[in-house]
Amino acid sequence: MTIEEMLAEMRQVTAPADLLPAVMRRVLPADAYFPLESPLGTVYVAYNQRGVTRVSLAASPEEFETRYRAETGRRALPAEDAALQAAVRAHLAGQESTVPFDLDRVTPFEREVLHTALRIPRGQVRPYNWIAREMGRPGASRAVGTALAHNPIPLLIPCHRVVRADGTIGQYSLGGPDAKRRLLQWEGALFA
Amino acid sequence: MNTDDRALCDALAADLDGNFEHLVISWQDRLYRFALRVSGSPSDAEEIAQDAFVRCYRALQGYMPDRIRALSLRAWLYRITLNVARNRLRRRTPPGEELGEHAAGTPDPGMLAVRAERVRDLQQALTLLPEVPRAAVVLRYVEELSYGEIAGVLGIPEGTARSHVHRGLRTLRELMTEEVTA
Repeated sequence: MTIEEMLAEMRQVTAPADLLPAVMRRVLPADAYFPLESPLGTVYVAYNQRGVTRVSLAASPEEFETRYRAETGRRALPAEDAALQAAVRAHLAGQESTVPFDLDRVTPFEREVLHTALRIPRGQVRPYNWIAREMGRPGASRAVGTALAHNPIPLLIPCHRVVRADGTIGQYSLGGPDAKRRLLQWEGALFA
Repeated sequence: MNTDDRALCDALAADLDGNFEHLVISWQDRLYRFALRVSGSPSDAEEIAQDAFVRCYRALQGYMPDRIRALSLRAWLYRITLNVARNRLRRRTPPGEELGEHAAGTPDPGMLAVRAERVRDLQQALTLLPEVPRAAVVLRYVEELSYGEIAGVLGIPEGTARSHVHRGLRTLRELMTEEVTA
């Protein structure tokens, strides 16, 4: 057997199973999150230094972490931030909001839609074309609907306060029309 | 460069965080193996490979997308791994004890044992070579790089890479023969 053949035998090596997770733990940036009780059940609020990045329904913290990782490429680690948690509760209660949002990952159009939705007061609703008109793009109702459907921060950015022009409730990413109705009733919006 | 690596570079240029895991998945066996053959120690190899990937990530973070797309990925990855290995191995005494090879599967224990022993002896001989010829031999005959690529990894002219490989092989041959006759 030649030395070259013996060297070829050295090729049969597999990396240890720990290598991949260890590398990913060290390189992937991490955001923080905390659970929040809401009328829709426990939601998870993720944030970084710039602000809240996401609100998501999940059956468990692990499920939320896995989904956050898949959707954002970032890890989410449980954390305590009393000031932010208080600000989020005040925001949900309809008080003047001091919650910062990080909307870096959405398009400029989507960002404008979401900022416009933030101006709808608690207890009120607006049709999709109201947002389009407010943005000076009255023909863009359909695009507004799409942008709201992709809202990464539902509940806090109140896309649930945007309904169809005929008064029917429309879709909702955080649990469907029933959840949307429950949320609006909880907020005291005029809704039978 | 092969099309897999080309596609990987394009993906990394477009979204580093979203695609870095693919880079690790497709390169972890090769870089770990390279680190193992150069260091002679599974635990060193694991840490070398881990540090090398982290270093790659940090470097890619600082590169503009055009630079990432233009990377000679293969040579770049081996070069980073080799640099990490060198820094690490210089700080410690030469390995020798921890050369355990775990043979996978059990089709013929006798054959496997003979082969595992052969690999172990060769690994021991490899670690006796000086750094550069050792890396050159591993890159050529374990990792199957061309002389041009080896020259790129080691930062030396192609002719020099060639002679390191040949001299390294000759020394290995002598070491293995000595062992057999001893």
